[in-house]
Amino acid sequence: MRHSFIDRYANLDSPLHMLEPRTKLIGFTGMIVAILMTPPTHGFAFFVYLFLIAIFMGISQIPLPYLVGRALLLLPFVLLAAVATPRTNGQGLYAFGIVLVRSILCLLILILLTNTTRFTEMLKGLQGLGCPRILTLNLGFLYRYLFVLTDETLRMRQARDCRRVRRAGMVDELKLLGSMLGTLLARSFERAESMYQAMLSRGFAGKFYVTSPRKFSWLDLGFLSAMAVFLAISLWR
Amino acid sequence: MHIPDGFLSNRLAVSLDVISAATVLYAARRAKVDTSGKMIPTMGVLAAFVFAAQLLNFPVLGGTSGHLVGGALLAVLLGPMCALLTMATVILAQALFMQDGGLIALGANIFNIGAVTVFTGYVVFELLGGVRSTGKRLAIAGFLAGWLSLLFSSACAAFELSLSGTIALRVGLPAMTGYHAIIGVAEGGLTAGILSFLSRVRPDLVSARARYRFGLADWIGALVLVAVPFSIFALVGSSKLPDPVQSLLASALGSGSSAAPSPRLLSDTPYADYAWRILFLLGFIAVAFVVARFATGRGKRV
Amino acid sequence: MDDYAVRLTRLSYTYPDGSKALDGLDLDVRKGERIAVVGPSGAGKSTLLLHLNGILAGSGTVRVLGRPVEEPNLEVIRKEVGLVFQDPNDQLFCPTVYEDIAFGPLNLSVPPEEIPRRVERALHDVGLEYTIRSRSSHHLSQGERKRVALATVLVMQPAILALDEPTSNLDPRNRRHLIELMASLSATLVIATHDLELVLSLCQRTVLLDRGKIWADGETRQLLGNDRLMKEHGLEVPLSLRVFDRMARPS
Repeated sequence: MRHSFIDRYANLDSPLHMLEPRTKLIGFTGMIVAILMTPPTHGFAFFVYLFLIAIFMGISQIPLPYLVGRALLLLPFVLLAAVATPRTNGQGLYAFGIVLVRSILCLLILILLTNTTRFTEMLKGLQGLGCPRILTLNLGFLYRYLFVLTDETLRMRQARDCRRVRRAGMVDELKLLGSMLGTLLARSFERAESMYQAMLSRGFAGKFYVTSPRKFSWLDLGFLSAMAVFLAISLWR
Repeated sequence: MHIPDGFLSNRLAVSLDVISAATVLYAARRAKVDTSGKMIPTMGVLAAFVFAAQLLNFPVLGGTSGHLVGGALLAVLLGPMCALLTMATVILAQALFMQDGGLIALGANIFNIGAVTVFTGYVVFELLGGVRSTGKRLAIAGFLAGWLSLLFSSACAAFELSLSGTIALRVGLPAMTGYHAIIGVAEGGLTAGILSFLSRVRPDLVSARARYRFGLADWIGALVLVAVPFSIFALVGSSKLPDPVQSLLASALGSGSSAAPSPRLLSDTPYADYAWRILFLLGFIAVAFVVARFATGRGKRV
Repeated sequence: MDDYAVRLTRLSYTYPDGSKALDGLDLDVRKGERIAVVGPSGAGKSTLLLHLNGILAGSGTVRVLGRPVEEPNLEVIRKEVGLVFQDPNDQLFCPTVYEDIAFGPLNLSVPPEEIPRRVERALHDVGLEYTIRSRSSHHLSQGERKRVALATVLVMQPAILALDEPTSNLDPRNRRHLIELMASLSATLVIATHDLELVLSLCQRTVLLDRGKIWADGETRQLLGNDRLMKEHGLEVPLSLRVFDRMARPS
């Protein structure tokens, strides 16, 4: 079974995709920091940010509907903020607007980061930046086994649907869900055990090693200068 | 429940980043020292399990839907240190894969959804009988561990949002805790159900031998890790760190307790002028987007 | 150094829940031999294989290439005994094929410059394109996965290969390819399998394992052709032998 919901656009071929992962991690995070540090008096700065981000979005070749669709993730918090804002004065509205704009911009940057980097490259980037080994290892296993688990979950669901005549009440549904999840969990433990045995069989003795990295190019320099521009804007008084 | 970027004030987000980083590093150090290499694939696989389980939504009360968070469950099965590491992995993965939760807000999310759920769940479960309980007692302990973990976690999130000035407490707290009190029923139910199922099918998994024991040193470490930043929080109102949104919102809400006086933000020009300017700028940006898209238009469709 | 690859003496193993998996096994395998371990499900075949590289440790002795399977020999033994698991998913745990194959050599401290060459060799040996190395194993077909799993073990250049149900879940063409592949290897082979036709075509010697004990050990065609023995232990005489038998007997 095929599931590409995670990696969907990471295999495209744009200039952004070709950057070294550490550059992207530092660069995009730097941009987010810059946005968050910009004083709200500089409303125009946000337009400049959006301009630059739009260029990146264009370069990345990621379909626009997807980018916009992901913005819906913000909805619950935006609604809460809207409800909590005092509507009596312009100050309040402006403040709410700033929060909205900032979060949208940050989300767009995050989408760009995650969708232009293949997962294995992301791991290498994180490792190169000093992320604790245990986290990157776990992320690697998570990625690998997510698909196996999703397959099993789908198959279990199919099997359940084959034997189900009508929808039961919520309590029974939850009980069923509970035993499905419990079985998945037990199988996960067993799988981890087998995996550990396979690792031991291939000489694993407690330490993990890394294979080859991507190279730093002039593209990366260009990208980092874009980040510098962001920071300059945010710091300009 | 994952907080995106832009909703927390900078100093709060950064303090939580520091706390979470320190906690995760501490947990990583302890986990390496005290458990065998076997824990590593177990944590990885369970991280995949929690991630997958969080994708499985179930309908709650008609319209909305909820999903299993899993912090309490993992705390019982793996012990708090490894559970924290696993949840941190999941939250990192959710931010990086699904853009669920911001990057600067990562610390806050790891704190709320990783640390608070895990520790609350662990403490509640242990207080109510721990791993040696069976049958009904196990189910009740599991249920309360799950339910309370979500309640505390959402309360923390509400406090953080209110301290940032983004969402006032009078709105945020009831909304978040209320919603999660309802979702928490399912979380508690599933936690209890899974624990009962496992205690019948694979009792060796639900035993103290399977996991790392939380020692006195860890309790002290946890206390320090939490007490220090909380004291920092208490001083947040009087801190001199520049936090643009905080001061802006403080002035908007009329609290007047922040340092700088608020500048005049909106002049008296009628809104129509603004509308035209904004439209023009947006159009310009849209053109930039289209040009960039076609200039580098050689993307492979996968 | 004697020329035995594996020597098992009175090997016993009990599961944590108390049931006996292996009960006083004696088995000697010569270097270069190809031996099949057959028996009904639950006979203990997989458990036996896990003893060959020290993953499981029972009572009795296990000697591999002259050394006892215990610390501090385990590092060397795990290089010399390549264990291929039944489910390739358990064996392929890295994000890409390349990293999975490189995992073994990296653990053996093979110098990093050597690794790409070894990976290429291993992929070539199992009949896969080098381009597959940057793909993720969940995107591969079952046949490809089995081959990659074999490659992850072959890359360590083991003297002994232990395979657990190598042809299970394979379609006929992939099965044929895998059998040809195994036939071309020079390592000592210990194959645990239900695929009796595979046994006939590949292994001169067969051992019948049931309920943790060895009931028969001898020339393959004779053992597998013994109708009473097969039936007693939940197996059947393979089709090709029955047909051959039918043809050899005057009507």
